[in-house]
This record gives sequence, C-alpha cells and structure tokens, in this order.
Amino acid sequence: MHPLRTFVPLLALLGLGACQSDPPKAPLCRLPTGNDLAAAVSQAQSDLASGCASRYEDYFGALLRIGAGNPDPDNARRFSGFLEWSVDQGLINRRQAQTRYNRYFNVKYMTLGRQYNVCSDTCPRRPEVLAAMRRELGDKKLGLMDILGDRARYQRADRLYQETELVLEATCSACGAR
Amino acid sequence: MHPLHRPIPGQHPPRLPALACACLLAWSAAAGAAPAPTLRLFPTAVLEEIKQTGNVAQELESGLQPVIARLDQQQRLYLDSKCDGAEADAGCDQLARQLATTYLEMLQVMEVRLPEMEQAVNHTRKGLEKRLRRELGQKKTAWDLQETLLGKAGRRGATHKPRLRGRSGMRLSDRFRQYYNLVARPGQQGNGSLAVVAADIYLDMEEASELIARTREEISRATLMGELNQSMGVITPQMHQVVAGVKSILFGEAGDAPPADAAPARAAGSDRYLSPLQL
Repeated sequence: MHPLRTFVPLLALLGLGACQSDPPKAPLCRLPTGNDLAAAVSQAQSDLASGCASRYEDYFGALLRIGAGNPDPDNARRFSGFLEWSVDQGLINRRQAQTRYNRYFNVKYMTLGRQYNVCSDTCPRRPEVLAAMRRELGDKKLGLMDILGDRARYQRADRLYQETELVLEATCSACGAR
Repeated sequence: MHPLHRPIPGQHPPRLPALACACLLAWSAAAGAAPAPTLRLFPTAVLEEIKQTGNVAQELESGLQPVIARLDQQQRLYLDSKCDGAEADAGCDQLARQLATTYLEMLQVMEVRLPEMEQAVNHTRKGLEKRLRRELGQKKTAWDLQETLLGKAGRRGATHKPRLRGRSGMRLSDRFRQYYNLVARPGQQGNGSLAVVAADIYLDMEEASELIARTREEISRATLMGELNQSMGVITPQMHQVVAGVKSILFGEAGDAPPADAAPARAAGSDRYLSPLQL
C-alpha cells in the first residue's frame, strides 16, 4: 500500500479532531432585561466589547426600555456614561453620541440645522422639519419623562415645538413675501 | 490672560480711567456670559403702528358690537321659532328680512371703518414682515432660532409661557393693547417671547387682511344685488361665514378656553446632572 493512502486519512482525522476540540466561539449576545439600568449598562458594555458590536442599536434600545421602566434623574448620568464609553470603544463617534444623548435627554431639537439661514434652508422644507421635530418630541417623551421622570422639561420641549411651529409659520411667510 | 484683556496690536497702553472702564466692561461681559444679541423686532415705528392698529380696532369694535349683538339675538329668535325650512311662514319671512337688514347694517359699518383698519393692518403687517424676514429669517439658522426661543430661562427648564395664537379668546383691540404692553417695555420679555409675539401679531394681521378682503367682496356683492333685504330672505352660508369671521377676529372665539398652563416648571437646581455630551 502506498504510504500516502494511510497518511492522508490520518491527517484528515487529526484535522477534524483539532476542529472539534477548538470550535470558533460565537458571541453570546443576550439583550439585557429587568429593571436595573446600571446592571443592564454593565452587561451591555461587556457584550458589546465581546463581539456584539454589530447589535449596538438593539442594545441601546434595550437600555431605553429598561430606563423607561424605572424613571430616575440619575439615569441621565448612566446613559451619558454609556455613550461616552461607546465613543471610547470606537462604536460610535462623538457627534453621534451627542446627537443621541440630546435627542432623548435635552429640550433642544437636534433635527434643527445650524448651517444655513431659516429663509433659505428651513422654509423650503418646513413640513419635513416639523414632522422630524414631532418624531424627536416622541423620543424626548421617552427620555425626559419616562426615563428621567422630568415632566417640566418634557413640557418645555413640547412648548418649544409649538413656538417653533408658530414662529416658522410667520417667518416663512415673511421670507416668501418679498 | 483673559481674551478680553489682550491688548490690540498697535494700540498704546490704556491710561488709568480707560483701564478701569475696560476692566469694568470685561468684568460685566464675563459676569453676563456673552449676552445674546437683542432682536430688533419692534423698533419705535412698528410699536406705534401696533398701538394705532389697536385704536382703530377698538373703534371698529365699538361700532360693530351693538349691531352684532342684535344680529345674534335675531338669529336665536329665528332658530327658536323653528323658521329654518319654514320660509313660507309670514312671521319667519319677517324675521329673515330683519336678519338681512341687520346684516346689511353690519356691512355698512364695516364699509365706513374698513379703509382705516385696512391701512393700519397693512402698515403693521409690512413693518413686522420686514423685521421677521431680516431678524429671524436671514440672520438666524433654525438652531439659533430655537436657542432664541429657549432663552436662558428655557435652558434651565423654566418657561415664559407666552400665550400662543388662536387661543387668546379676547378682543382684537385688547390683544393689541396686550401686545403693545408686552413689547413696549424693554427688558421685561426675553428675545424668545418677543419672537413669539411678533409671529403672533404678524399672523393675526394676515388673517385680518384676508377678512377685510372677504368682507369687501361681500359688500360689493350685496351692493350689486341692490337692496339686500329685498332680494334675500334668509341668511346665507356666506353671510354666516363673514359674521363668524368678524366675531372671531374682533371679539375672540366664545368657545375658546384659555390655554391650559403647563404645570409650573421645576426650577432646575444645581443638582440636575449635566452631561458632557449636552449641547
């Protein structure tokens, strides 16, 4: 018998054996549950650092749901800490972290542009801008009221939307009436 | 060195009084933490126009109030007598003619007062239009606009709560008096409130302009038809619309409840967490 005839199957068996003894580890990405936001943040950080980064949005959503179940002003610190950690880990950039934090936990609307003036930039797409603000107001309700329990600031955000709508209506009418 | 203390290149060292002034200025600037530039939405000319429009509106109201009260009374009587759909009845026919006569009287009062009102409204509207376009439309981005609306108090969580349009439920003249009082006292209102008030007045003026145009059309139509109370027996939907418009603009909407004030904002103390990510 040719020596290769016995050697090749042996090698194949050895290789298979090696695969069986060291299988590739699939990351275990279990979204956090429960009511303890601090614990959920720790678990999310641990998972995201261990191969679950592609599910970043799902983890952030889970943290929002957990926060909403237990309103606390201190939750702002927890979310801020989590977002800053995410920046340090390279999961999101600083601007994305700021946008995300302020969208949920600040009265100001991130939807509103900062580059061009109201007449040239905002007025031509006023319905879209207002629709985006309404969506953001929904996120502010979740962040400010449900997660932080800060009713006053949510009401200010709501009023800011109404004031912006009114002032834009008048200003855009004035812009178009030259 | 504080940036405000940096010497301007080529300038001589300031003398003592000048230095004291500079220090005072620098200190006040630092203490005030870069005050927001004042919005020039209400220069004196615009203020005077607002005042004038309020006066003209009051005259119009005084002339119209008794006529509209009579119109309401006749309308109630017409409906209570179940005249709607019973025009053949002699009594109902008489009521309908009375209604039409009073309506014509209302149009006549308006015809006399309208040119002056129209002029006042248009001046105020044009003045504010220019200011809104320049100060808010061209000088500001949408982000600046929201910062203006929030003001310093807004950032802390407190709110000015200026009443928003369409909810005031008050007479036009009273509204103008209130507007004038709001904007004529510098320092009483933040820029945010001024922007809201300016928008409010401007949109009111647009609506008033439309009402004036509609009323003028209605007057022309009625005139063309000759003696209104001879040609029309009943109050028409167009007449209803004009009367409702006049009432809502001049006297405020009767069914309008004042806006539910937001719960008093909790004055955000120093204990509220401020994230380094916060804008």
